[in-house]
Amino acid sequence: MALLPSGLPDHVDDAEDLARFLVQSKWFKNGMAKPVAFLPYPKDRETSVSRHGQEPADRLWAIGLHVAGDRTLYGVALFKASVVRKEGLEVYPDEPPDFHAVIRDWPWNDSNMTLQKDMQLAMAQVLASEAKLVIKK
Amino acid sequence: MGSAVSTEAKDVFKNTTEVVARTESSMSLFGRKNEVISQLLALANECSTDGWDGGEAMALNRDAVRNVEAFIRAIPDDFPLPDVAPEPDGSVSLDWIRSRHRMFSMSVGSSNKIAYARMNGASRDHGVFSFDYVSIPQGVLVNIMEVMGNGITSFRVA
Repeated sequence: MALLPSGLPDHVDDAEDLARFLVQSKWFKNGMAKPVAFLPYPKDRETSVSRHGQEPADRLWAIGLHVAGDRTLYGVALFKASVVRKEGLEVYPDEPPDFHAVIRDWPWNDSNMTLQKDMQLAMAQVLASEAKLVIKK
Repeated sequence: MGSAVSTEAKDVFKNTTEVVARTESSMSLFGRKNEVISQLLALANECSTDGWDGGEAMALNRDAVRNVEAFIRAIPDDFPLPDVAPEPDGSVSLDWIRSRHRMFSMSVGSSNKIAYARMNGASRDHGVFSFDYVSIPQGVLVNIMEVMGNGITSFRVA
């Protein structure tokens, strides 16, 4: 197995922690990230995540601040790669930047966006239910 | 010695009290709905341009915002109101979240077709329903009621 510039292997293991950084205040509430925080972006049909857990915290937030750019970083939703794969999605390493990965293989219907959205929402609900929310202090 | 207040007077007082209570309840609902709509409009302003997330999110679709406003106004009295949030493709997300294993989510875009997903413990479901901009399908309301499970057994259609 080859190593990436970050030092991580080029395959994301089921047991790996994934971090979805929250840059929208409405994407979380009452101690949990909402499903909307995990939905794919239409341009590349993927959801951007980082291969990082809660520790070390300083590196986690450094990655998050880079992701947020000029936006406010509110917190992070942490979950396992296995949860993603149980829903029929896949996690692919996507460096640079270091630690970056993407969730792909979301259901997609080019002729009817609404028909895909209900399936995406159902998968996103599972990710939201399994994710741990950590608010940035 | 009998009471100085007649039975009729007591009835008038009781009826007046009930009318006042209903009026205050309606005003309270009106206020609550307006609060959610205000949040929606603030969101529409905040996410009015592409890249509102610092990345590649699309600006909130104006028709989607209008559809959400119509949906909120169609919600029956005494019914829980959703949280609103922007989606990366310009749609608006509505969530009723009771706990991390009980939630009902909708995605409202520019058309009258609304995608939804329901998680109620181990029971999961998803689909699409049509919204006529006036009333919400009964089945959708029942689904939300079951997820939120806050003792609502009936509601009045607005």
